[in-house]
Amino acid sequence: MPDMVSVAEVADTMFKLVKQAAGLKKYKAMDLEKAMRELYGDRVDKAVSKAAIKELIDSGRCVYTYFGGSYIEIPHTEAAANPQG
Amino acid sequence: MPEQKFPDKLQELKSGAWPSFVKEIENAAQTSPMAKDLYGQLNQSYNEKIGHWKHGGIVGVLGYGGGVIGRYSDLPETWPNVSHFHTMRINQPAAWFYRAEDLRKVCDIWEKRGSGLTNMHGSTGDIILLGTTTPELEPIFNELTAIGFDLGGSGSCMRTPSCCVGPARCEWAMYDTLALTYDLTMTYQDELHRPAFPYKFKFKMAGCPNDCVASIARADMSIIGIWRDEIQIDQDAVREYAERGLNIQSVVVGRCPTRCMAWDSKELFIDNENCSRCMHCINVMHRALRPGNDRGATLLIGSKAPIMEGALLSSVLVPFLEIVPPYDDIKGLVNNIWELWAEEGKNRERVGEFIQRVGLANFLDAIGLEPEPEMIAFPRENPYVFYRTE
Amino acid sequence: MAAEPVKRVTDIGPPHYGKYLPPVVKANYGKWVDHEILEPGVMVHIAESGAKVYTVRAASPRLISVNKIRAYCDLADKYCEGFLRFTSRNNVEFLTAKAENVAPMKKDLEALGHPVGGMANSISNIVHTQGWVHCHSAATDASGIVKSVMDALHEEFTHMRMPGKLRIALACCLNMCGAVHCSDIAILGIHRKPPKVETERLPKICEIPTAVASCPTAAVRPANISGVNTVEVIEESCMYCANCFTVCPAMKLNDAENDGLSIWVGGKVSNARHEPMFSKLAIPYIPNNPPCWPEVVDAVVNIVKIWSKNAQPYERMGEWIERIGWPKFFKMAGIPFSREHIDDFKHAGLTYKRSTHIRF
Repeated sequence: MPDMVSVAEVADTMFKLVKQAAGLKKYKAMDLEKAMRELYGDRVDKAVSKAAIKELIDSGRCVYTYFGGSYIEIPHTEAAANPQG
Repeated sequence: MPEQKFPDKLQELKSGAWPSFVKEIENAAQTSPMAKDLYGQLNQSYNEKIGHWKHGGIVGVLGYGGGVIGRYSDLPETWPNVSHFHTMRINQPAAWFYRAEDLRKVCDIWEKRGSGLTNMHGSTGDIILLGTTTPELEPIFNELTAIGFDLGGSGSCMRTPSCCVGPARCEWAMYDTLALTYDLTMTYQDELHRPAFPYKFKFKMAGCPNDCVASIARADMSIIGIWRDEIQIDQDAVREYAERGLNIQSVVVGRCPTRCMAWDSKELFIDNENCSRCMHCINVMHRALRPGNDRGATLLIGSKAPIMEGALLSSVLVPFLEIVPPYDDIKGLVNNIWELWAEEGKNRERVGEFIQRVGLANFLDAIGLEPEPEMIAFPRENPYVFYRTE
Repeated sequence: MAAEPVKRVTDIGPPHYGKYLPPVVKANYGKWVDHEILEPGVMVHIAESGAKVYTVRAASPRLISVNKIRAYCDLADKYCEGFLRFTSRNNVEFLTAKAENVAPMKKDLEALGHPVGGMANSISNIVHTQGWVHCHSAATDASGIVKSVMDALHEEFTHMRMPGKLRIALACCLNMCGAVHCSDIAILGIHRKPPKVETERLPKICEIPTAVASCPTAAVRPANISGVNTVEVIEESCMYCANCFTVCPAMKLNDAENDGLSIWVGGKVSNARHEPMFSKLAIPYIPNNPPCWPEVVDAVVNIVKIWSKNAQPYERMGEWIERIGWPKFFKMAGIPFSREHIDDFKHAGLTYKRSTHIRF
């Protein structure tokens, strides 16, 4: 058994990816999972990636967005949003 | 109604025999400034022949990736009370049965924190609460969960499953559509609330081939009740239908799609091996004919509306399956399908389109099903066969 | 937002249906043996035990206020021990074991402005989408057309005098969130022009890579126009899905002059007799004409009339047209046949007439 990467580390790595790509590319949950597999090989599995995404969303560091498909992004103000009056 | 520069065209939709949605908006507008501005903006649309909404893709409740559809007016100065007009999808109870007491609680929350306007129900089956602001989303969610309701799905997730009235009030329910709907909804809460698929995935449970929930046209997985053994015939009751004036030869026998019936004015014969279980004769003579007792469902896969590669109807995946809790065979199959499609599917590719792209035979190999002739309308007509060498 | 943390509850799912079933339904769950439609909108189901449940079905505009729901709830309390349900076509249903409750309940519903009907060989409620009430990509309104069409056809909801069932559906653009593609008559909002790019404003409010990536047909691409980094649309590739407008409000697809409606016929979802079928194009374009869309109403009423006059018992729209042939349908309906009727998408050849089976 390889040493599994911790959920916290995977979450941090995912967060960096999402942050770097903000405004250029939108990641879907599966894109992040695949990126982790590429980076960590068999030291990461589906369950860890899933837990990491949940950690990112529940902590508010990332949010799910919906633009035709569902993505994971850094919270930001979208073009369509009107300020709350 | 609000002062505005446009003539009030919506008034024309208040008369007439059909119940008026305009009256409903007016009714809500008595207490809701949001409903009042909705009226104003909608009336402007009616004058200009154009919509005035923008899509909001970020709003939601903490932790969930669905259940809220963000909406903003593109005329926020003119109609400030619909500057934010987000929709919430609330997972409906199976088959849309309610206790008035609980439905009133949903109304109270929505009157206090939203526009007071709803759809009973949305296309996928959810209760639709139409129009609220971003700061109200979390409080509404917390108040809804406190009375036992949760959000439904939106985005690239498992959408809220729905079903027909089934065994609750129909003699043709070949399996318990409500039980399966509830079970799948609860089993896949994570898949419902946290979008991890290439695109949406809908389940619709229909109790018989009449398909009252349009499952074969509108669900990525259509689970349609069916029976395998013989149609049960009560010959006395058949004769009663004839005596009361039903033209059995023309209306029943003559409309049978497989010509598997015969009627000699005394007895009705059915060649059950050639019956395609279409339901027509049973629909017409329900007192005399009943489905058999070897009951289950056909699983079909892949239907969808046109975007992106064209509309599809679901096609047969498993010709017959007994539908018995805890539904492990369905869930095993679903998990295999989701794993494959999540891994290999393209962004915004529904599972039906995915199957068209990779080929049904390859899809079957990947999810571990054997090809069966029930899955096709007819075999291939072209000779471009990829033979497998041993 | 509230400063103090709230104890959040998540993933509880919907209420269990078991607690929402009327007592007579609960007692006879799965044990129904027969039913009878007693009059339009009223039926009785009979259980093995001999127990009966009466159902009264009434129309609803789907878009209803909480006060209307409360009025329904009051009826449920008065006649149905506090229970009610809704149908897959947005009707409301009241179930009771007491036959004597049917007539007064029907009267109360009609007094509330909700006709009772929608069963057997009738036109049930029109399933529809949001339109201008809530949708950003709508090419038309939904509720207004539904109201206008049903005002004209309400007697077919409250009677059962047609050859078979007739199901009408409306979607306000081709995303079809109310999948209408298998309806006897489908009314479909259509855009006919690609999105208009606000070249100057776009880079200020939208992410260009996101706008480009949003297009399923790669019709949106980066461009430099008069020194401004923005996007352009390859018009031939656009299929009017509005996904670019979804991500970027500076690419508005809605167009007051060119948007409108199309009418499709002959689809069905039920397996009864003929296998399920898609609806096929009957009328390629009708301009928007709010508030009552008289041209759409006339077109739908006309198609309903020729079908109900000519179809054989139980023949759905698509089955009838298949029997008489499409040329005759166009002739009877007085609809001019045009180039738009001929498919040019994938596998279009399968829709060409590939025989000499021609009726003259």
